[in-house]
Amino acid sequence: MSAMLRAILYTQWKWSRLIVVLGSVAGFAIPLLSLQGAARADRGALQAQELLRSVQSWGTLYPLLATALGLLIAIAAWAADHRGRHIHALTLPLPRWRYVLLRFAAGLALLVAPIAAVLIGASLAVLFATVPPGLQGYPFALAVRFALAVLVAFAIFFAISAGTTRTAGIVLGAIGAVVLVQVIASMANIGLDLFAIAQVLLAQGIGPLAVFTGRWMLVDV
Amino acid sequence: MSNAIEIERLHYRVGNAFEIKDLNLHVPTGSIYGFLGPNGSGKTTTIRLILGLLRPLTGRITVLGDPMPEQHARILGRVGFVPEQPHLDATLTVSELIDFQAAFYARWDEGRAQELVKSFELDEKRVFARLSKGQKAKLMILLALAQCGELLVLDEPTDGLDPVVRRDILSALLTYVSERSATIFISSHLVHELERVCDWVAVMDNGRLITEAPMEKMKHGTKRLIVSGAPDEITNAPFRILSREAANGAGENWVVGDWEPSMTSFFDGLGATLRDVIDLDLEDGFVELLRSFRTGAGGRA
Repeated sequence: MSAMLRAILYTQWKWSRLIVVLGSVAGFAIPLLSLQGAARADRGALQAQELLRSVQSWGTLYPLLATALGLLIAIAAWAADHRGRHIHALTLPLPRWRYVLLRFAAGLALLVAPIAAVLIGASLAVLFATVPPGLQGYPFALAVRFALAVLVAFAIFFAISAGTTRTAGIVLGAIGAVVLVQVIASMANIGLDLFAIAQVLLAQGIGPLAVFTGRWMLVDV
Repeated sequence: MSNAIEIERLHYRVGNAFEIKDLNLHVPTGSIYGFLGPNGSGKTTTIRLILGLLRPLTGRITVLGDPMPEQHARILGRVGFVPEQPHLDATLTVSELIDFQAAFYARWDEGRAQELVKSFELDEKRVFARLSKGQKAKLMILLALAQCGELLVLDEPTDGLDPVVRRDILSALLTYVSERSATIFISSHLVHELERVCDWVAVMDNGRLITEAPMEKMKHGTKRLIVSGAPDEITNAPFRILSREAANGAGENWVVGDWEPSMTSFFDGLGATLRDVIDLDLEDGFVELLRSFRTGAGGRA
């Protein structure tokens, strides 16, 4: 099994190494850039607010980076199989669920590098910055949240990428149906807001996309 | 004699466009089994069913004693497969593809793989996309042979290749069979090629099996007869009449299957004269079988 994982990991590394390297560089740089200019000891309360605004605005890049990494690594994981119409994968002597699991595990292994880069970048940024009194650095919490976001994005896009054109059609059809129902409800003055419901279900509380929302703060009170 | 592949009453349909109906196939263990048919006859679909890539609507497929597709992972570990179109990742090099394949097969023979790399003169550092068509075909054969499978399933492996490459590939296959007593199931529409290497042959057209017979029977049982004075209606013939048409001058040309020399006496009973019996090669026999099947005159061997 480990030989199979190594073989699959190697091929996926070859296909996605540029994405991994660029993602890792970005993941390392964003925390450092977000605390740029914070390395002065003379900052007072107002500067602290300035710093928080800066950290918050740079923070929007983390979910974007997590989404991009999840998307691109997932696409790369299946691209060769799609090109070969899955014939090679389907004729390998292992259960199909195990092959999918191996591809998923290899993708996750590759994503460890950018997650580690965020942790290292965030830790160094906090270490070398002079954080104003009353503020705390949360490099580990930020890296864990980034890891969760990457995992969610990768899992979603991996599942979508694994599908056929027919699957993509079904997903788009379902989204189109929701939009159509919403338009009809609006025209008929029915108090139905499917988008708000979807947002609550998906992006709030324990919704699977909640990890992407809210503030991504390396430094906070 | 046991069978490496057994298909019983198989039915498979793709939409309303194409179906395989009531297919029965028996590939004896240790044989080189040629699977003939024109393009679009259902050869590749049948192979995909044998390998568990497609699920039949009804019927039973047994490969190396195990049911397919239920035991596909177990079976595929013992089967080497060469598809019609190379399906490998075009960005990997020859050696990377060999390493990748080796990781999945418990009986992978690295020595044989390296030996074939040399004998096929493959550049291990070259990426798959940059290989010529012949080199790609050789690599596919290499990967199938180094798995040390008991059964090789080859879907038109030499289609479109030059004679030198075709000969290299067939030679490697024959060496493998002689060393390991493996079974080869090879589909093709290159009739002459199969005639040279196969000991069993099946012919398929339009999703139906027309015939399945030992090669000797197929080759020597299909004849062109020159007949004169035969009545229009023939009943109880001991052979199959595949076609019957007027010849130049007097008499008729008959193409028959399942012919044996002792059957000449049948014409005495008809009051007809059998003037000549002409041997047909496999290609002629194949063409006549297809013609008779399409006009509805033929039946199962």
